[in-house]
Amino acid sequence: MTRGSAVGRTIRGSATAVAFALIIVPILIVVITAFSPGDYFEFPPRGLSTRWFVEFFRLKEMRNAFTLSLELALLAATLATIFGTMGALFLARRRGLLAGLLQSLFLAPLVFPTIILGVALLLLYKTIGMPVFPGLLLAHCIIGMPYGFRTVLASAQALDPALEEAGQSLGAGPVRTLFVVTLPLVWQGVVSGWLFAFIVSFGELNTALFLTGPGLTTLPIEIFSYLQFQGSQLVIAAASTLQIALIVVMVTAIERIVGMGRIIRAR
Amino acid sequence: MKRAWAWALLVPPLAMTLLLFVGPLMYLFWVSVHEASPSELYGHAFTLHNYVEVIGDSFYLAIIRRTLGVAAAILGCCLLIGYPVAYFVALQPARRRTYVLLLLLFPLMVSNVVRAYGWVAILGRRGVLNTSLRELGIIDAPLDLLYTTEAVVVGLMTILLPYMVISIANTLSTLDRRYEEAAQALGAGPVRTFLHVTLPLSTPGVASGMLLVFLLTLSAYVTITLLGGPRSKLLVSMIYDGVTAFQWPHAAALAFVLLALALMLTALILAVLRPGRVEGTGR
Amino acid sequence: MTTATIDVRLTGVRKSFGAVVAVNDVTLDIDRGTILSLLGPSGCGKTTTLRLIAGFEQPDTGDVYIRGKRVTAIPPYRRDFSMVFQSYALFPHLNVADNVAFGLRMRRIPSNDRAAAVKNALELVKLGAYADRHPRQLSGGQQQRVALARAIVVKPAVLLLDEPLGALDKMLREEMQVELRNLQQRLGITALFVTHDQEEALTLSDRVAVMRGGVIEQIGAPREIYDRPRSEFVAGFLGASNFLDGRVVARNAETAVVETPAGRVPVMVEAAAVGDKVRIAIRPERVRLTDAQGDGLPARIRNIVYRGPATHFYMDSAAGSLLSYRQNAAADDWSIGDEVRCTWDAASAVVVEPERA
Repeated sequence: MTRGSAVGRTIRGSATAVAFALIIVPILIVVITAFSPGDYFEFPPRGLSTRWFVEFFRLKEMRNAFTLSLELALLAATLATIFGTMGALFLARRRGLLAGLLQSLFLAPLVFPTIILGVALLLLYKTIGMPVFPGLLLAHCIIGMPYGFRTVLASAQALDPALEEAGQSLGAGPVRTLFVVTLPLVWQGVVSGWLFAFIVSFGELNTALFLTGPGLTTLPIEIFSYLQFQGSQLVIAAASTLQIALIVVMVTAIERIVGMGRIIRAR
Repeated sequence: MKRAWAWALLVPPLAMTLLLFVGPLMYLFWVSVHEASPSELYGHAFTLHNYVEVIGDSFYLAIIRRTLGVAAAILGCCLLIGYPVAYFVALQPARRRTYVLLLLLFPLMVSNVVRAYGWVAILGRRGVLNTSLRELGIIDAPLDLLYTTEAVVVGLMTILLPYMVISIANTLSTLDRRYEEAAQALGAGPVRTFLHVTLPLSTPGVASGMLLVFLLTLSAYVTITLLGGPRSKLLVSMIYDGVTAFQWPHAAALAFVLLALALMLTALILAVLRPGRVEGTGR
Repeated sequence: MTTATIDVRLTGVRKSFGAVVAVNDVTLDIDRGTILSLLGPSGCGKTTTLRLIAGFEQPDTGDVYIRGKRVTAIPPYRRDFSMVFQSYALFPHLNVADNVAFGLRMRRIPSNDRAAAVKNALELVKLGAYADRHPRQLSGGQQQRVALARAIVVKPAVLLLDEPLGALDKMLREEMQVELRNLQQRLGITALFVTHDQEEALTLSDRVAVMRGGVIEQIGAPREIYDRPRSEFVAGFLGASNFLDGRVVARNAETAVVETPAGRVPVMVEAAAVGDKVRIAIRPERVRLTDAQGDGLPARIRNIVYRGPATHFYMDSAAGSLLSYRQNAAADDWSIGDEVRCTWDAASAVVVEPERA
């Protein structure tokens, strides 16, 4: 692509500066506020203190929400990745109308308005009497499945088809070929799919909004409730910062294992 | 031999998708065409009343108009700011581009409620903006910036901007330079090259960015509620209200109206931009 | 027929993909310890035939036998064969030793025996020191050898090779052709080799099957099909050839005389009778040139191209164009425009089935 004129460069440069400011600044403000020593919101804070983090862990509903979100995300991501990987391996070498339809079906939850899915699932759960945690788990599983599906599909399709035939020519049956040849070669797709499913589940709002119950809320919903009904209590800033910290840790850890380019390309 | 194992791979994810996605949606539609019931989830009689009620009522039509207006404003801002940023990103050398994209990807992983909270902290009566303006002496009393449709537009736009940038940047960075070089060899300066070559060829990225931003706008209940408050309700807020009031058929119908809006505008965007023409499926 | 054991047999095998018949009623045998090459242009069905033996494709009709056992319905991982793929297909997540050991692991060979067999195989392909490397650290030629080692270490009933040398440069290819042949003969492996390169087929094989349009046009020892092609297609595919049309005017038990527009020429013949119209093929290296006073077909040199070991003479005659290769050891002294006479022994010319236009 050409660099074009100086005007072009100014436009691009300033747009980028404005964009990054608009995107990053709100998040920064939240993080900095979390270390505020005061009782009320003020910016910039007078000093630095961890009192609100302490408060976060003191409050039972906050602790529970955090734990629930964590458990939910771990389980949902694992289930979602297993199912997504299975679907991807089935479709990796298949072409044709049916294969195309199946692929669109498996990717659909990615673009479908999740709020409507939340409503539909709540209706279903109420009709059959589904308990809260399993219901949430299944909801996050279906929402997370396309991520694993997509990344593993890309990895599997990039494989030389001769590799699986080579395995078979040497005596490995279809199941052994799967475990000894295919899976070791797509593991990075599996891991990055798991990562996305985890992060999505941990921050998910639209289905959790409907599917959480008394005593059983996820961290984002807890934050939302606080914001709606108790004003800007600073413990929210601490809760938010913890969520951000968790994401940073996960992305860094996965980057070590899988590599930066993988995460970007997987999108 | 291989066939049986292959089906074993397909059945679990397919079953999940049918039972937790397709099935519930069909059930929701089923409920939307039944009348309400005070004691049960929905009544016995089949009716289209729920839809007629929404499409015929000026209240709901106003909500729909406002929803579309908000969506249009967000799309416009995201395009206007997002395209030059995407161009900037696409021009970066490969390694730096990866880091920049990661920097854009990271905010998307932070829950929307946290990002909306950031805007509450900025726009609130005791927020950053009001405090700074008062300290600079520009205003005396705090401005009511929050709980407005404008706040929703600004907040949601910044939340969704990375999607637009990443989408367009991915397309731009894979553009063959030779198209632009050919245009310049034929006498087109930088502006004309951009307008006649680069911009049209970036249509697939623009289209997918627009679709993504649009669909997420329709669905963003939490952000809309936190920044818009009780007076700036959009269609999705109505759905939530319907559900909490146990008016299932009504809420279900609203949900499918939302879905219909989404489909219609998707078709519109695809028809206007025609990304298939560029990707080689060409029509 | 000899009493040699037949390791691979195809009987009446037919395979279609939609409307395209890729393999059309093919029957062939491969004797133990020999290499059969399938040679032909792309789309002739040679790769499909190989994949039918491997089991990656199922025949519509016909049967495949490996060592006398009918394997038509048996999946690849239970057939006794191994394969060298065009892309080598070395497992990127395993090192060289583990790649080579893979087939042995599948056959549950205990690890001590595995290690010894792997070491042995790597030494046979001269990569003994590379056991710990990974495929991406190897050159194309080295990867090819590892693929070979992996395939031979399991001592298969038949070794299938699908254009394995295609990705190598010319010198490396020729080197590998010879090495491959030596290895095969040393170990007595039965092999099927697919290639579109006729020189390769002639170098490596005990027998060559020339395929076109899903059918085996001719099958035989390299020398036999080169010197005695039965059709114009086979003659042309195996190397350059002169083609002349004429009518048989005299014949005896083995040879005949054919009258062409430019004169009479000798030819080897089997079934043609006097009066028949025939097309004959003569290899350029068998065409001798003498000066205008001698016997033979009159022709005029149109172009002379120096080719290193040989010189090519392009000539025009009343019977059509003619090509002669002369080795540069002989000190020919022709120039463009010279009138010459072309001669050859009867044994150098054969009657071939003409191409239907």
